[in-house]
Formats: sequence, structure tokens, C-alpha cells
Amino acid sequence: MSFLRWARKRSVWVYNVNAASCNGCDIELIASTTPRFDVERLGVELVPSPRQADVLVVTGTVNPMMRERLKTIYEQIPEPKHVIAVGACALGGGVMKGCYNVGHGVDKVIPVDLFIPGCPPRPEAIIYGIMKLLGETPEEGEAIGDGESRKD
Amino acid sequence: MSESKGPVERTEASAGLMQYSPENIVPFGPVHPALKEPEYFKLILEGEKIVEVIPRIGYVHRGIERAAQDRTWIQNIYLFERICGICSFAHSLSYTTTLERLTPFEVPRRARYIRLIIAELERIHSHLLWLGLVGHWTGFETLFMWIWADREHILDLEETITGNRIHKSFATITGVRRDLPDNIDVALKREMKYIEGRVDYYEGLVTTEETLVARTKGVGRINQDVARRLCPVGPLLRSTGIARDVRVEDPYAAYDEIVPDVKTGKDGDVASLLVIRLEEIRESCRLVTEAIDKIPSGNVKLTVPRVIPEGDAVGHVEAPRGELLYFIRSGGGMKPERVKIRTSTMANILTATEMLRGHTLADVPVVLTGMDPCFGCMDRVSIVEVDKGKLWSIGGEELRKYGIDQYGARRRG
Amino acid sequence: METERAARISAAVGGQVGSLRHSALVTVAPDRVVEACKLVVEDGQYYHLSTITGIDEGENISVLYHFWKGGGFVTVKTSVPKSNPRLPSVSASLPAALFYEAEVMDMLGVVFEGNPRMGTKLLLPDAYPPEAPPPLRKEADPEKIRKMMGLE
Repeated sequence: MSFLRWARKRSVWVYNVNAASCNGCDIELIASTTPRFDVERLGVELVPSPRQADVLVVTGTVNPMMRERLKTIYEQIPEPKHVIAVGACALGGGVMKGCYNVGHGVDKVIPVDLFIPGCPPRPEAIIYGIMKLLGETPEEGEAIGDGESRKD
Repeated sequence: MSESKGPVERTEASAGLMQYSPENIVPFGPVHPALKEPEYFKLILEGEKIVEVIPRIGYVHRGIERAAQDRTWIQNIYLFERICGICSFAHSLSYTTTLERLTPFEVPRRARYIRLIIAELERIHSHLLWLGLVGHWTGFETLFMWIWADREHILDLEETITGNRIHKSFATITGVRRDLPDNIDVALKREMKYIEGRVDYYEGLVTTEETLVARTKGVGRINQDVARRLCPVGPLLRSTGIARDVRVEDPYAAYDEIVPDVKTGKDGDVASLLVIRLEEIRESCRLVTEAIDKIPSGNVKLTVPRVIPEGDAVGHVEAPRGELLYFIRSGGGMKPERVKIRTSTMANILTATEMLRGHTLADVPVVLTGMDPCFGCMDRVSIVEVDKGKLWSIGGEELRKYGIDQYGARRRG
Repeated sequence: METERAARISAAVGGQVGSLRHSALVTVAPDRVVEACKLVVEDGQYYHLSTITGIDEGENISVLYHFWKGGGFVTVKTSVPKSNPRLPSVSASLPAALFYEAEVMDMLGVVFEGNPRMGTKLLLPDAYPPEAPPPLRKEADPEKIRKMMGLE
């Protein structure tokens, strides 16, 4: 494994966007940084600006008011970047599916690398998802390539 | 960017009514409600001070009231609880309590006690969550971490009883979905004692720690006159000294038998809100302990009806943030004809804009957090600087940092 | 006690007492709404306006003003024809009504004359199609609205 890739995996900076969610997923994401779950011991940190981020975590139904903002934020994140959609709403609308003012999935707006299902997913599930993205889980699956991000 | 054409014409509001018409802000350059990026709060500054606040909400609008008409009465419980991840049970409780008024059924006494216990556990977790956020917004990361670690105790209890931490799907029509686990009283009483101890500690902290006091005392002040005009709810209302609480004024669940002591403040500022919410946590611990001691045996629900008789009903509960109202119309079928929901934050937005007036940017995070809004809405604020003719935008995080820096500078300089 | 009060108010404004579980209900003509609400607050001492509900009833749209004081709700109800859904705003005497009326404007297209937020949106996105009916009207179709806003 290249040094660069190893170094990047040791510190992953995450920016959270609440795109019209009930806050449940966002709270569990933030809870994962608190002492009980402590995702920071794995080098994962929540950052206050998209320009500092490696990974964008999106929650919620992405309603029309949030659509453009989400795209803008996505563009502000420097390459290489990855996107995780957290929660049933972000996956496909969740329980809100069919409402007149919701989208049916974050991947309809920006490219998504990983989905974490749940309503909301537990902090452990969120941490597991982030680790999976980094290829750190026991089943070494689709690890992200050296310095490249998935464009499709 | 075009220059301003002069100081803002403060249309003098009669009885405090704020004039929001577009004409008032058009003179200030490319500022117009039809901006590409509509913001949650548009702040109009004269010099350093905020003179006007124009809220634009809709960021979390999903179309739930309409969706409710396509779902059955039971399915709607799962829909409504996902309006908010913090007061999820309050929603399902307000909905079921109101709906039950259209039926001839009476909720069994044991179920009413269990509803009270879960509702109070939710109040504790919500207030703790909020308190942690106050820590975060004022630069006390350690406080935030400690409080959210304490909060996990409550979430564990909720998970043991209901099966989930956040969306508990626990209330049902005529009661709750399942009974309490055996011997839960031991864990409940132990954790309530633990939380009470932590509250004692935090209360000492928020009333003596220099920066916290400086950032909250006298900040965001409202009085009873504002409360009368703008009808806020919850701790915000009670911070003015008005002792109103739906649990006492209109008892539901088991609050007629286990009566809460209503906590009020007198200064109407964010410092009062800190104390009130801490006292409410303590009071909730007492209510849970009393409820689990006195809980009667019996059913936890009746046979849940699929069809609700025709009629209109209105009802409300005291969610952690205040009065949460549901209006329901049944046409006699399996789905509602109309459900109208008025959340506590909606009732408080006007008051929040009042709270911001006269303050500087550095106070905005604390004031807005003080009202305890659903924080997904706080992502962005846009500023109109009247005398400089500038329009600019600031994100929540930058505002937070700005506030911390400003207060640090004030202390040093 | 509540029904007595409702009866008194309805007598004063030429209205009718009606039925709403957990609330007294007075139905009045649209042009008596401001007066009726004033009576509720001043005579009746109802200190809290909880909210304003709008309902599409086919030919008419009903608007309900829910007032609370310790002891009970009093609701003032009025109806306007859908073909001309205009009502005087109560926001001058009841500032708390500002957003509640605005919500009914958005959701049902009722025009509250005198409400300063007329013409601006409170909850609906800017992208809400002007040719679509307001979303809580019976003729509004969530599917169609989604398509018009470009939501898949």
C-alpha cells in the first residue's frame, strides 16, 4: 500500500450536510464522536468546512431547497473526495418517499460511494460504514484506489 | 455590489409586528427575497447591531401533512415520529392522544404511566443534547463530550424499553406497543439518580463559569410583553416567568396523577434558559422515579382500531421544546382526511427574531441555540450590512468560531 | 363552560356553535373573523394562539383559529369559497398569527389581506411550480408536483 494512501486513511475528515433530514441521522453521526463510540480514535474527525473535508456525509431527503446547496457543497470539497449517504431518507426517501417535496436518494443529486441504511443507523453502523469505505473492515472489499476518486 | 441608498427604513411595527415586505430590503443592493440562495435568517445590521431579522424557513419542509392523507392511522405514527429525531415520541404521543379523542376508547392506566416515563426520558435526552450543543457553540468541547456521554445513559434506557434509541415507534392508538421489561425499575431509578448528580454538577458550572455566564447573562432577553404578543411555548415562554406547561394545564398520559412542578425563570435570557432546562431535567428524573414506583398493573393497550369514527379533534402535549399541537379530521375511514401539525419551534421563531434584535453577530449562535431549534435549520445565515451596503453570508460553523473569538477578545482586551 | 363562552361569542358575532373534540367551536362569517378573535382574546382572556389550521373541503376552504387558555381550547372557524379564498388578516391585533396565516397561504392558497408576508413563501420552496395548485388542496397531486420540480 502506498505511503500516501496509508497516511490518508489514518486521518479522515468528514463534513456533514443535513439535507432536509429529521436530524436523527445527524445526531447519531455526532454521537459517534462522543466518548462512548469515539470515532476519533480511528482518525475520523468532523470538520467545520467542506474545503477541509475528504468525505462528505449527507443525511436527509434532499428537498428542492437543499438540492442546489448540496451540489455547491459537493463542488467545494477538494479531490480526492468520497460521499456517504446515511439513513433511509438519503438512500431513497425512506418513510418520506412519495412526499411532494422530497428527493428519492442523494445519488440522484451527487455521486455516492457508500450507503449506510438505518432509520437512523446506530453510531456503530455509521463507524462501520466509514471503515468500509476506507477498506479497513475485515472483508477487504472495494478499497478506494490511490489518489483517485470514483467519477461515475 | 451596489451601494446602499441610506439607513434602513424601520417601518414601525404596531404592537411589535414585523414588516417583512420585499420593498423594505430592496434599497440595499442585490438583496432580494428571490436570491438564489435563500437563507434561514437574513440579518439586517446597522453598524454592529442587528436591527431586523427576516427568517426564511422551508429547508426541512417535506410534505408530511399531505403524505399523511395517503397512509393509514397506524402508518402515520411512523411517519410523524420522523418529523423530528429529537422529540420523536412527543409527536407520536400528541398524535395518538388527539386521535384517541375520536374513539370511545380510554387508554389503560398502565399505558398512561409508561407514556409518561418515555416522554420524560425523551425530555431529559433532549435537554442534555441541547446543553451539549451550548457547550459546543461556546467553545466548550469537553462539556459537550461529557454531556453527550451522560446522555447515552438515557438512550440505553430507551433502547432497553422500546427497542430503539431515536425513533422508538412505541406509542400506538390506545396505548403503547409493549410492556416494560421486568425489573426495569432498578435500572431506571439508578440512572435517574446518576443524572440528577450530573445535573447538580452542570448547574454549578453554567452559573459560575466566566465565559458561559458572559455569553448568556442578559443575552437574548425577552419579557412577558413579548410572550403575550408572540405566543412562544416551552422553556422559552417560561423563561419570562410565565408558569405554563401543557402537562399541567391540560394533563395527558399520567400527568393528572404524577404532576410536574413547572420551572420558570425571571430574566428571560439565555442564562435563565440554561437553568430552567437543567431544573426540568431534574424534575423529569423525579417524575420518572415516582411513576415507576406507582405504576399500576394492567393492559398496555386495547385492540387497536383500523377505522376511526368521523369527527374533528385537537390536542397538544408538552414536547421538550414546548406545546406540540395536532389537529385531526377523520372522515370515518382508514386514513385521515387532514392532519395539521404545529411544532414547538414554529411557535418560537417569531420570538427568536425578537431575541436577536439589538445583539451583535457574536451573540447569534448563543441566542439561536437558546431557543433550542431543530438544528438542521441553522446551517446558514445571511447578513445585510445596511450602512456599508454589503450583503454577505456566513455558515453556522464560521459564526460559531466568530462568537468564540469575539468573546475571547472581549475578555482579553 | 367552554360551550357557554362559545355561545356568547357566537351570539356577539352572529355565528354558530359547532363540534370539535376537546375544543369549543364557533363558526363565523369571514368578515366577522377579526372581531370574533378579538372577543376570544379580550373577553374570553384566551392568552395563547396555538395555531391556524386550513382545510380543503371541496367547494370551500375552512380556516380554524385555535386559542388556548388553562381550562380549554376555543376555536374560531370560518369558510371561504375556493373560487375566491380571501380573508382579513388577524396579524395586526394578533402578531403571533403572522406565520400561521403564512403557512395556510402556502399550503392552501388562502389570501390573508393585510398579512405582511403576502407574496412571500414561508415553507414552500422557491421552485414550487406556480401552475401547480397549493399542495394541500384536494386537486394537488404529489406525483405531478414532484415531476414539475424535477424530482425523480
